[in-house]
Amino acid sequence: MLLLAAAVVLGIIDGPLKLGLVDPMRGVLIFALLGLGLNIVTGFTGLLHLGMAAFMAIGAYAFAISTCDIYPFQLGFWPALGVTAVAGALAGFLLGAPTLGLRGDYLAIVTLGFGEIAQDVLKNLDAITKGTQGINPLPPPSLPLFGEFGSSPAPWYWLFLAITVLAVFACRNLERSRTGRAWLAVREDELAASCMGIAPIPVKMYAFATGAALAAIAGGMWASLYASTGEPGNYDFQISILALCIVIVGGMGSINGVLVGALAMIGVANIALPKLASWLQQKGVVNASNVLGSPNNWKYLVFGLVLVVMMRVRPDGLLPARLERRKAGGSA
Amino acid sequence: MSVAPLLEVDRVTMRFGGLVANEDVSFAVQPGQVFAVIGPNGAGKTTMFNAITGVYQPSSGEVRFQGKVVRKSFAARLLLRVGGTAIAAAISCMLAVNAVALWKAVIVANYVYGEPFLWGKAIGCIGPALSQVGALWTWGSASVGALLGGGGAFVLWLRTRRTPDVVAAAGIARTFQNIRLFGELSVLENVLVGMHGRLRTSYFTNLLRLPAYWREHADSDARAMELLRFVGLDARAHDAARNLPYGLQRRLEIARALASRPRLLLLDEPAAGMNPTETVALMELIRRIRDTGVTVLLIEHHMRVVMGVSDRICVLNFGKRIAEGTPEQIRNDPACIEAYLGKEELG
Repeated sequence: MLLLAAAVVLGIIDGPLKLGLVDPMRGVLIFALLGLGLNIVTGFTGLLHLGMAAFMAIGAYAFAISTCDIYPFQLGFWPALGVTAVAGALAGFLLGAPTLGLRGDYLAIVTLGFGEIAQDVLKNLDAITKGTQGINPLPPPSLPLFGEFGSSPAPWYWLFLAITVLAVFACRNLERSRTGRAWLAVREDELAASCMGIAPIPVKMYAFATGAALAAIAGGMWASLYASTGEPGNYDFQISILALCIVIVGGMGSINGVLVGALAMIGVANIALPKLASWLQQKGVVNASNVLGSPNNWKYLVFGLVLVVMMRVRPDGLLPARLERRKAGGSA
Repeated sequence: MSVAPLLEVDRVTMRFGGLVANEDVSFAVQPGQVFAVIGPNGAGKTTMFNAITGVYQPSSGEVRFQGKVVRKSFAARLLLRVGGTAIAAAISCMLAVNAVALWKAVIVANYVYGEPFLWGKAIGCIGPALSQVGALWTWGSASVGALLGGGGAFVLWLRTRRTPDVVAAAGIARTFQNIRLFGELSVLENVLVGMHGRLRTSYFTNLLRLPAYWREHADSDARAMELLRFVGLDARAHDAARNLPYGLQRRLEIARALASRPRLLLLDEPAAGMNPTETVALMELIRRIRDTGVTVLLIEHHMRVVMGVSDRICVLNFGKRIAEGTPEQIRNDPACIEAYLGKEELG
């Protein structure tokens, strides 16, 4: 609630105050959605998943094929996003059906492999996906409620914020229901859960499909924002790891934690580092040709440091799930 | 006895490689009884529990519950599931292998930029496009898909015929010797997980919080609180399960097991690590459970508990049954005294 209020206030004051924060916040919201998806799989159900980028790619391509005018479908934004979610969920089922009997590390390896396969398939299926060109240009959404989707970032921000709020509600509803309790029970103790009448494989399958659908929506948002899917190689292992970092930094199994984690990770990369770099350049500490002049060059150094410090100081994340649950009264 | 036994363990042998944990063990539990299985450490008691609850499959012999071996039956649903998976896999396999050709023939050939797309005409192109790639290729890929999908679904069904969740759904609930609660979940949530099989709301009902969700939510919370009152844990309903003291964790495990409304409750050393006061309270709890009509099968070392609450006792030693009878008979059975009671009483 606090986070939502802060996000709304930011959206309102950003324009008049010329903060320029709404622009990079769009990326934060996309990765928040990816993190929410991974949180269901890894945070709630305890399955280490190293291939979330694949579902993001599937989502981006499903969205692009549904909307781009070089294809005959040309759906509106919301129907296309629905198609995207369904495509993601189907892909999650397809990956999950034969593999969810595997345990722990073995499943992680399979998801890792899936992430690589998905990139290659998209690259080589160029009759449909245009190969390394990516699909573009995608038409901007026409949603009068959010304003004119032109050069101003504000309508995008409101649209993505609305999607994120919906996704947060969906995650919360699931977490505090029979479905979500089964996920948590499987994470805590699979044998005990199955002795309580919970069949682990279908339960994990639902978690996988839900996580994949959310990641696919993140991919759809990404494609829509950049009016292009970009090349398949964009959805690489780094994206999957970034999603994992968001969940770990925020707090495994904590929905608010994921939002904070996305803000911390992507916010640092897209907001703080560029500002720091331009400040350093202004002060003449480094010049543009210096390695340290570009924030991208030391992004991963900062990520690595953050992870190490987090593991040492707050291994449960910034907003640990346990505290979150206690605040909510533990049930409801 | 005229009443049919609730649980029959019929010549069950559990072998792990060369190690025989249970050999030809048989006993029968009548409904409404408290039945105890005792024996020295390593006698195979917990293995027997695992064989009953489907964690292990007996190497030979049968476990019958209400006269039948608990396992998924051959039913119309199986055929539907295997058939459905086979058809879905066949179609997706066929589409996957021919994706590019189909895409070109159906979508690319029928779409002129800027003009409306004629769905009917495009769908009509699927058939000719498939016949163009050749019948062998089309049907070959489809049958490979059907085999993989249908076979996979069938194998999965075979392997999950008698898993713990199937046994639990049939009405057998259990607790564990080394407590296995869901530590991060609250006490109340632990009981609600136990209720899983009794609750009906589907994924989408929960996702959208439809009215059915709210009805069941109120109902299940009330029932869970009732159970917590029954075991005396209602004051701590919102604590994390891992923060409970040991004795209360044992009680929570019992409440969680009872939440599935079982006909048979398996308690694996419920008194382990309890002090005398807690032990007396536990005995009283076991009697109250029996009085609600739940049959209890108990593994226990504590002779006071066993002799105090059991209607019938079975003694195992080195995986074999060495005696069975009423507490009075067991107390006077020379084989038992030698194997177990004698040592325990003197020590």
